[in-house]
Amino acid sequence: MIARALRHPSFLIGAVLSLLICTVALASLFWTPEDPTKMRILMRLKGPSAEFWLGTDQFGRDVASILMVGARNALLTGLVAVAIGLGFGLMLGVMAAQMKGRWIDDAIMRALDFVFAFPAVLSAILILTFLGPGLVNAVIAIGIFNIPVFARVARGATLQVLARDFIRAAQLARVPKLVILRRHVLPNIAGLMIVQASTQFALAILAEAGLSYLGLGTQPPNPSWGRMLNDAQTFLAMSPRLALLPGLAIALSVLAFNLLGDGLRDILDPRLEER
Amino acid sequence: MGHFILRRLAGFVLTMLAAAILIFLLLEVLPGDPAGTMLGVSATPETVAALRAELGLDRPAFQRFLSWILGLFTGDLGLSYTYRVPVGGLIAERIAVTLPLATMALVLAATIGITLGTLAASRGSGPVDAAIMAVSQLGIAIPNFWFGILFVLLFSVTLGWFPSGGFPGWQADPAGAFRALVLPAFALALPQSAVLARMTRTSMLETLGEDFIRTARAKGLNRAQVLRRHALRNALIPVITVLGLQFSFLVAGTIVVENVFALPGLGRLLVQAVGGHDLILIKSLVLLFVGTVIAVNTAVDLAYGLIDPRLRIAA
Repeated sequence: MIARALRHPSFLIGAVLSLLICTVALASLFWTPEDPTKMRILMRLKGPSAEFWLGTDQFGRDVASILMVGARNALLTGLVAVAIGLGFGLMLGVMAAQMKGRWIDDAIMRALDFVFAFPAVLSAILILTFLGPGLVNAVIAIGIFNIPVFARVARGATLQVLARDFIRAAQLARVPKLVILRRHVLPNIAGLMIVQASTQFALAILAEAGLSYLGLGTQPPNPSWGRMLNDAQTFLAMSPRLALLPGLAIALSVLAFNLLGDGLRDILDPRLEER
Repeated sequence: MGHFILRRLAGFVLTMLAAAILIFLLLEVLPGDPAGTMLGVSATPETVAALRAELGLDRPAFQRFLSWILGLFTGDLGLSYTYRVPVGGLIAERIAVTLPLATMALVLAATIGITLGTLAASRGSGPVDAAIMAVSQLGIAIPNFWFGILFVLLFSVTLGWFPSGGFPGWQADPAGAFRALVLPAFALALPQSAVLARMTRTSMLETLGEDFIRTARAKGLNRAQVLRRHALRNALIPVITVLGLQFSFLVAGTIVVENVFALPGLGRLLVQAVGGHDLILIKSLVLLFVGTVIAVNTAVDLAYGLIDPRLRIAA
């Protein structure tokens, strides 16, 4: 499997890029080239130099440092949103599959269809209207939108596993339901869930960027790539660099986790290998 | 068949009702005092009481909910708190921007996506296929609002071909209004078309492996004829479903992209309403957005059932 992974181009590119982004985000916890919040009015909108690698923004802050801290916020968003979606989605999906044919299955799936009708931006707006804007509330909204996605994948995969012979064998041997679930079902659907997690991670980064662009996500002075893009629009003609860099950071991160997911899917299940 | 349609429509009505109840609870019941929320912390008790009376918030919640739902049918949705004009009128005025924008984006996304996907699948695995797949992978990764900003940079700031934002209005300047929607529509459409291209390619490859394709070739049709008459039709069924599901991303996308281009549409109105704590306006706008998504999903379900009878039983 490792040999196959090393020969898979999209997995390799995705893995290297994601590792790079994670390293940058982790590094920002201990070190950034400059203080990302320090303003230097005389140095505003300066191009790249030895002192400021990627130049400065409209307040004279170091763009490279802001981007690094932005990476941390983007990854944190993805992580928490996926954790919420995966946690609840996996539970509900497996439960629905176990109860297939009964009203509980129907009720869970209908409720999830309902949640799915609220795009992340809309549920975020609803939540933010009475909780106030902020990164935490935005992440919760994105996480809620993830639940039905994970639940559908988990339900489908669990149904397939439950129909296999070794499950019947375990049932005949009077293995308790929960043990069957833990020992036989979960390991068999883990691959699919990991692949989905990778895709949803990428989507969460996109959603957070969108919300922050609208001013509904990360609040200043906490840096966010989406927010940087909004600020940059005012100075688009003067310094397009400010609009290019954060966008590039978003696109690269999303690309990285999408490639990683595609690669993992092929590696974990060779039958699905793209023709 | 009639049973299937009835079930779906009943589901639609119930889902809409549930959405309305949820929105009403979140915006008008849970915050406690909507009038206080709208006026902010600096308001005096007198002004809060006055607004409460003006908005009829002193009536029981159930009564308010009923009059809101009735208002959805009569168009009387109350006065917007920030704009001081009827919500129904505001929505009618802004929909003239958002609906054409979303339609343009949908048509563009479908055209670009299905064309590229078919092209990639029909050429087999080669440089064309690889190039289209690589480009689509990039297209998925780029957020629509960054596409928007990049377009402004290239086509407005540098080349000056299109306006960078704003909207002259359909009556005042029809050609200018159309031009104002071109860049936003492309920005919305490109990420969607990338998803559709990949979907079409996969579905097309599956269909091209079917027996009836070999039969069609065997009876003497050339490649292009087989592709057009037999493969595309069958391959498009799952693509249409995905198109329906993608619609919710498109709706969410208009909210962000309208703000990039300062278009006076529903999405920008919603963000402004959130900024002004205009709960009266937010309530109806969110229901409109969510209702559109639910309606499109129901329509896709229905269309799917009409095309493929097997799905009626499963439903």
